[in-house]
Amino acid sequence: MAEGYSILVDTSKCTACRGCQVGCKQWNELPGTQTKNVGSYENPQDLSFETYKVVRFAEGSNGDGKPYWNFFSEQCRHCLSPGCMAASEKDEIVQDEKTGAVLFTPETKNLDFKATLEGCPYNIPRQDPKTKVLSKCTMCFDRITNGMIPACVKSCPTGAMQFGERDKVLDVSKKRVEELKKTFPKAIAINPDDVRVIYIVTNDPKTYWKFAAGK
Amino acid sequence: MTNHWIDLRNSDCILVMGSNAAANHPISMKWVQKAKDNGAKLISVDPRFTQTSARADIYAALRSGSDIAFLGGMIKYIIDNDKYFKDYVVNYTNASFIPVEKYNFDDGLFSGYDPKTRKYDSSFWAIKKDSAGIPERDITLQNPGCVFQLLKKHYSRYTPEKVSEITGTPINDLTKVYETYAATGTKDKAGTIMYAMGWTQHTVGVQNIRTMAIIQLLLGNMGIAGGGVNALRGESNVQGSTDQGLLFHILPGYLRMPTSNLATLEAYNKAITPKTADPMSANWPQNLPKYSVSLLKSFWGDKATIENDFGYGWLPKPDLGRNYSWLNLFDEMYEGKIKGFFAWGQNPACSGANANKVRQALAKLDWLVNVNIFDNETGSFWKGPGMDPKKIKTEVFMLPCAASIEKEGSIANSGRWVQWRYKAVEAPGKAKPDGEILTELMIEIRKLYKKGGKFPDPILNLKWDYTDDHGDFDAHKVAKELNGFFLKDVTIQDKQFKKGDPVPAFGFLQADGSTSCGNWIYCQSYNADGNNMARRKKDDPTGLGLYPQWSWCWPVNRRIIYNRASVDLDGQPWNPARPLLKWVDGKWVGDVPDGPWPPMSDSKNGKYPFIMKPDGLGAIFGPGLADGPFPEHYEPLECPVPANLMSGQFVNPTVKIFKGEMDKHLTCDPRFPFVGTTYRVTEHWQTGIMTRWQPWLVEAAPQMFVELSEELAKLRGINNGDKVKVSTIRGEVDCVAIVTTRFRPFKMGDLTVHQVGMPWCFGWMVPKDGGESANLLTPNVGDPNTMIPESKAFMVNITKA
Amino acid sequence: MTVTRREFLVISGAVGAGLALSSLGIDMGPVRAYADDLKKIDKIKTAKQTTTICPYCAVGCGLICSTNTKDKKIINIEGDPDHPINEGALCAKGAGLFQTTSNNPNRLKKVLYRAPGSDKWQEKSWEWAIKEIAKKVKTTRDANFIEKNANGEVVNRVEAIAHIGSAALDNEELWPLQAMMRALGLVYIEHQARI
Repeated sequence: MAEGYSILVDTSKCTACRGCQVGCKQWNELPGTQTKNVGSYENPQDLSFETYKVVRFAEGSNGDGKPYWNFFSEQCRHCLSPGCMAASEKDEIVQDEKTGAVLFTPETKNLDFKATLEGCPYNIPRQDPKTKVLSKCTMCFDRITNGMIPACVKSCPTGAMQFGERDKVLDVSKKRVEELKKTFPKAIAINPDDVRVIYIVTNDPKTYWKFAAGK
Repeated sequence: MTNHWIDLRNSDCILVMGSNAAANHPISMKWVQKAKDNGAKLISVDPRFTQTSARADIYAALRSGSDIAFLGGMIKYIIDNDKYFKDYVVNYTNASFIPVEKYNFDDGLFSGYDPKTRKYDSSFWAIKKDSAGIPERDITLQNPGCVFQLLKKHYSRYTPEKVSEITGTPINDLTKVYETYAATGTKDKAGTIMYAMGWTQHTVGVQNIRTMAIIQLLLGNMGIAGGGVNALRGESNVQGSTDQGLLFHILPGYLRMPTSNLATLEAYNKAITPKTADPMSANWPQNLPKYSVSLLKSFWGDKATIENDFGYGWLPKPDLGRNYSWLNLFDEMYEGKIKGFFAWGQNPACSGANANKVRQALAKLDWLVNVNIFDNETGSFWKGPGMDPKKIKTEVFMLPCAASIEKEGSIANSGRWVQWRYKAVEAPGKAKPDGEILTELMIEIRKLYKKGGKFPDPILNLKWDYTDDHGDFDAHKVAKELNGFFLKDVTIQDKQFKKGDPVPAFGFLQADGSTSCGNWIYCQSYNADGNNMARRKKDDPTGLGLYPQWSWCWPVNRRIIYNRASVDLDGQPWNPARPLLKWVDGKWVGDVPDGPWPPMSDSKNGKYPFIMKPDGLGAIFGPGLADGPFPEHYEPLECPVPANLMSGQFVNPTVKIFKGEMDKHLTCDPRFPFVGTTYRVTEHWQTGIMTRWQPWLVEAAPQMFVELSEELAKLRGINNGDKVKVSTIRGEVDCVAIVTTRFRPFKMGDLTVHQVGMPWCFGWMVPKDGGESANLLTPNVGDPNTMIPESKAFMVNITKA
Repeated sequence: MTVTRREFLVISGAVGAGLALSSLGIDMGPVRAYADDLKKIDKIKTAKQTTTICPYCAVGCGLICSTNTKDKKIINIEGDPDHPINEGALCAKGAGLFQTTSNNPNRLKKVLYRAPGSDKWQEKSWEWAIKEIAKKVKTTRDANFIEKNANGEVVNRVEAIAHIGSAALDNEELWPLQAMMRALGLVYIEHQARI
């Protein structure tokens, strides 16, 4: 559906300040988990039932021999046709008509987690081992239905994250990609027709995160 | 900052050097991005490719400690390629001045150096003055003895080849940076510099900044929107704490601390008041006695009278020429000469360079008072690693204080905006706002001194009434004192004021004891209009993002200082598209002008733009510093090369070298063959003592690490994620290795020099397995002007643990 | 100070109009049960809102604290969208400011004293601590007061007591703090700016 909302994540403006990662924890009252430094700035190592947003760090060398450091602030894509919903028969997972937000209800504890996870092209759903409830980004449904923008979008200083009506976001995305192509010929928006959370990258998505464009 | 945060968006070229703004001043990138959206170029110059570099249009690597070489090359480029803004340079800077004949520079030393005292006699750098006492000038800038030609000669040695060999930056990269930045030398372009501790934490720290100030003056970037020299201050209120004079050498408002040789107020006021014979120089510091007397009235209230020199004698006097700053303080403490210590909202056990020395020094105290919101390595030093509590006699008082949201008051950001903030909740448990704690402590001390004791006068005469009717600390009362009051009915400039009225602005302060003012630069912050610091209006008449009615900034709400340099001699903006200031119908429109006088073309009343300098002009030649009027490249105290390629003078010849058992340093030694540096991460704050207690932040940055190049990792057999040990002659720290493409070895002629870097946000207390402080490694040697330690460049070894 | 809580949808680029979603009349449907569990938003709507400035770096971002009027505890801290510098944005530290409040069990809440040679803290009262510290200041100051220096100049200073801190304090606390230390005769007065 073309209505509803979208989030644009323009990685060409991201500085990895992790305001989004912590802002999500703050708003959703999620705990900080135990982590170790395994040789990267990236932490936690993965999404979990307690981490809905994680900034991925990837580095390497460009063709011109200069280093690059890519930041990919990962979260649920809120797909238009959510693959996770295939396993859901009794509205354990719902897609809100007005906003397009894909929401896991507490009833997800009755779902086959493995099947649900496999259904997701982006490796997003996670399960609480105790309660078996599944969780992920909610698009800050409670905020966006109360005149507020998602916590992550709000915290973003550079405008790397933007939120608004889907058709307008698609428009901004298209224009930005055209602009970026002048300096970065490989710039693309990732699967803009399929997802509500649209990432713009300036290089092969795999140089950001292995699942950036899907598994 | 001469400018401010939002103003960054007005820039055409932003150089981030000596700073990783994206990581350490993250929200500044909002305005950097806006500048980029408008076509501006972002340049990142850093030994390591950082988050800032990831967003930069141009990245150039340089070895830590070689910034003057890099920038000296830019000065040469600007002059050789005629990129400087001629009208600006001739009219607004001292480029046309002529230093005295005995000024000279040879093989790394300026004339006037005494190797015994390791000090310069700055009379060798004096400026020639005519019979009227006005500096002689050569406005053609052709006289070989004029500042401009001396500048050209000095930096003629900074060729791209020489610079590249010193910095390890490829010549192509140097040229790219120079070309791009020097393009801001035209009237319609603005270039700005964002710098921080990457420049100040060196034995040539101040000269690093001076080199950039010279570049900005050459390019006409001072005083304009999108230009300036922007120091990104470190802490939420370090601007305020410096403004309020919490450093040994200054009183509030940057008045010099009176020294032992100045026995009377008259002698003091004479010493701090510069003179000029040039009627076109405003020489604003000639007003300083009004501010010093008003300050004394704030200290002592009615007890300060003209008969007792306004209480001048009650101020303690440091000895002239003696330095009581941080490095000397801890040296004295280590020697057992300091018995009592207040570590108030600070964690020196982790923030002090050569932290082992600091920790051992703490153990020699008789008593320590530690005020903080969390437990920390300083207050608990006695149970730290290597400490035997049984042997430590220090009595320690840990006082719990309020966090920022548990009290009301103002803080000054780096852009000099003094913003009021409010109390949301009471402090938890027994914690109290610092204002309460210090009020109660002084009341108790005064009680004791009422019964007798050594020289009780200053203690008993101190005005100490900053409480409300309930006896609670009242921030508004202090704020009003900082603004200042009239102490009797007066008429000034045709305006009538009554005793007790707030002073409208510092132009009204008097030297006769009729006004009090805690801090002249804060005068106007809380006047008859109310608490200007609490304003929240979003009007922006110039469209340049000044927001003149959002909070209040010093001085007198002037948002961009030196703004008289943003216009031509007739008062018209150099760049009409960015009208910061404009002379229209006999008055200034735009920002608060740097003084009300008409433009310079008014030969009777016009004034030069740099009103805080006695000569009124921007200093390209700067004779007031300890280590020279022109910046010169010297190697860091601990460096990787056997000689300084620029001259025979290896290290800054005026630095103090500590010689105690704990003051070890070593250069060009095979045991410590790599350059080490320290920096920060977004997720932790300074020593980490606030953030290491917070689960969300520890989750994101859990452990001490060291970043090193793939090449160095190979050399040492280190894989990404391995546990390693980084050591200097002073200490060692365990780290997780981050092997990265973002550090590359520096090719410096025939030498290959490796560099590593670490954050200094960890400490033994928390989290478990978090790691220790990088300051266990850093050297306690400081810049000769500021004594800021050289934490950014020292020599280390790295091995698998 | 109370502030009207306004939010705007758009950060930049005019993506959609700045409309309040609450005017859209969303049909909650089967999601309603889930929405009932989201109680934080309701608490925030009735909370006391105060503005503050971030205590970390010197950009000086604005934040809004929401304090629950029932138990007087802070329940949410996020960016102030009206602040012209950050426009509601916050980095990781500012975004996590909630964990500096009393909600963090590690906050120091007691006055503690460590005796000579001891390996532990003892809890003390404020009264006791203030009195003891004042006594120590006087004893050390009086025993080490320097009236004249080696040149015979009157200096009236104390070198045996030093003070450092703090760039984290308010201006209105800092000014009296340096006044107090100078009135006591201290010359070793330093803080974060020096390092």
